[in-house]
Amino acid sequence: MSALVAVKQALSPALRSTFRQFLLNTNVKSSGCISVSPFIISKRYFAEKKVFQRTKPHCNIGTIGHVDHGKTTLTAAITKVLAEKDLAESKAYSDIDNAPEEKARGITINVAHIEYQTDNRHYGHTDCPGHADYIKNMITGTAQMDGAILVVAATDGAMPQTREHLLLAKQIGVNDIVVFINKVDAADAEMVELVEMEIRELMTEMGYDGDKVPIIKGSALCALEEKNPDIGQKAILELLDTVDKTIPTPVRELDKPFLLPVENVYSIQGRGTVVSGRLERGVLKKGAECEFVGYNKVLKSTVTGVEMFHQILEEAQAGDQLGALVRGVKRDDIKRGMVMCKPGSCKAIDQVEAQVYILSKEEGGRTKPFTSFFQLQMFSRTWDCAAVCIIPGKEMCMPGEDTSLQLKLFRPMVLEQGQRFTLRDGKITLGTGVVTKILPPLSEIERQELTEGKKGREKKEKKNKKTV
Amino acid sequence: MYFKHISTRFFHLSKNLCADKNALAALRKKTGYTFANCKKALEMHENDLTKAEKWLQEQAESLGWSKATKLEGRSASQGLVGVLVQRNIGALVEINCETDFVSRNENFREFVEKTSKACLNYVSDVKETEGNVTKIALESESLKNLKLEDGKMLSDHLALLIGKIGENTVLKRAICYKTADTIKLFGFTHPAPESIDEEGKVIMGRYGAIAAFNSNTEASDEVRVIYRKICQHIVGMNPEKIGDTEIDKPNEVKDDEKCLIYQDFILDSEMTIGEILKENNIKIIDFHRFECGEEVKVN
Repeated sequence: MSALVAVKQALSPALRSTFRQFLLNTNVKSSGCISVSPFIISKRYFAEKKVFQRTKPHCNIGTIGHVDHGKTTLTAAITKVLAEKDLAESKAYSDIDNAPEEKARGITINVAHIEYQTDNRHYGHTDCPGHADYIKNMITGTAQMDGAILVVAATDGAMPQTREHLLLAKQIGVNDIVVFINKVDAADAEMVELVEMEIRELMTEMGYDGDKVPIIKGSALCALEEKNPDIGQKAILELLDTVDKTIPTPVRELDKPFLLPVENVYSIQGRGTVVSGRLERGVLKKGAECEFVGYNKVLKSTVTGVEMFHQILEEAQAGDQLGALVRGVKRDDIKRGMVMCKPGSCKAIDQVEAQVYILSKEEGGRTKPFTSFFQLQMFSRTWDCAAVCIIPGKEMCMPGEDTSLQLKLFRPMVLEQGQRFTLRDGKITLGTGVVTKILPPLSEIERQELTEGKKGREKKEKKNKKTV
Repeated sequence: MYFKHISTRFFHLSKNLCADKNALAALRKKTGYTFANCKKALEMHENDLTKAEKWLQEQAESLGWSKATKLEGRSASQGLVGVLVQRNIGALVEINCETDFVSRNENFREFVEKTSKACLNYVSDVKETEGNVTKIALESESLKNLKLEDGKMLSDHLALLIGKIGENTVLKRAICYKTADTIKLFGFTHPAPESIDEEGKVIMGRYGAIAAFNSNTEASDEVRVIYRKICQHIVGMNPEKIGDTEIDKPNEVKDDEKCLIYQDFILDSEMTIGEILKENNIKIIDFHRFECGEEVKVN
């Protein structure tokens, strides 16, 4: 195989000259072993990689359903059907099956990622074997799911665990679901109709709009084997068309109000204060009104200039590393960790609910479990802050476990739903998480309780008992 | 899969065999068996609901069995650990399934409950040996042969469950305890769904432990709280043995400590378990811990 690669290489005009020399010096053919330098191999992959064309909006979807109902077959069928239109690379069942272990932010997840596009949109398609994997996927944010395809086999109908699948979708914030009734080639029309009724009923019961949920019927296997195009290929195209229409395109970062986490603050003589950082979202123009939020402060100002690489920028876009000149604020007023944003678009928060994955020992996390009132350091964007965690409904949290946590910050910081963060304890990364809910601000008493520690809590408890 | 195709195809072709839609819906709703099977049942009994249902119930086991054989060998590493303690007898069981969706499902949880109760029944009939604590380990095969109150074997119930959820399910292992009256058993699982345990109620989670304590004092609520905390510690810290002050020496690296008595207490790192036991005049005689999906150590 590698010899083949080498020969292929030799045929590529760009490298031919280098390679000829190589061939003269080594006997590639007879040895068959590849002493070919890795330089050449890596160059090959590099040269052949396609450039991603950003012509269509992007959307992330996933498949959920029982293990035997044909999730993988459906995914394979989608790529096959789209490959015929040159919109995807056809993947065989075995390529997608056995979701490979992936390392994202140091966490091991079993997940299969496939990409394809329809005429209207570009898709990232996620498939995981278990609940925990979907949760980890949500937390690390490798691909936030905007919608899901629920696969149900017509022969079996909804399984008892379909309930759990829908619960998961709720938990990871998927509100738009398209149902695909698979294996209709092995069932008759009446059965399919009944399965449809059943699914609608179940979805209504689970809090979805069951009557309006789009349901497509077909057979992924037929599409894959190119049989019976009415329930095969056509059904797949109909499914994709429905997904295009019903799952809304997420708002692009560029279209949101601007936000710049402050990395550094400088004072430039004769000009004023400059803040630098990477514009996380939105568009920043000269003259824009702005607000600095964080560390118990809110400061209003105006951006009087935007620069990138020492050049004046008319308009900075999300992703740009920039410096912004701001009027009327002193250098000492602003600190790393604050956020510069469109006035009113951000708030400092000191209490949130979050979904967190606690790293296992193998992943570099703690060896011991921790309990409520554990104090840790929370890192997000450019700030870090001490926080106390409460584990709701559980007595402790084991390494390698995903859990919901309530976090109380020592100081209010800019936090919003969906924001990702890392938790650390001394030298160890404890876990990473995503904010799922903003909770009301801490009262003065609650704030005092944060600092009083275990002894204080015990004392108070005793006191309470006595008074009772 | 192939077989299913053939069988449904076959019924498509055969004449006079047409299941009534309403009957099919009713039967499916009532029994919860797959549409394909409900249909088959109706076709065989000319849409007679009662007969079809009866046939389905009769067939369920064998259908489950055939499904079970088909799914056998698929890896099942998820699941639950169930703990049941009643006075001086207790059971710790592990049951595996393929995905953690199923382990959250009501049907699966019911089966864990059944298994735990079956183990408890089994051990209550066992004659006590001379020691204070009788401990019996059950392997997959012996678990399958346990009889339930309805006279059926546990393996039959397993087949029914597999038929229902369509995932490979494995009775992995169990440990049963029987102790003398002076010895108290206590169980704990993590994550524990509710914080109040009632004796005689099955609790389940991804981790579970049972410990046997010897205390001179009557098991008051306060003592029970300590039992519970020690069990929680065992689940959390995974000690390998209790340890003996005369034989075992504390490990120099605190984090690698495997002797229970030398480990720092999980809820108060200023104390070791040994100190807590001494302070409360409790002796721990034995314990066992299961972690769902862990590799079984061969003793």
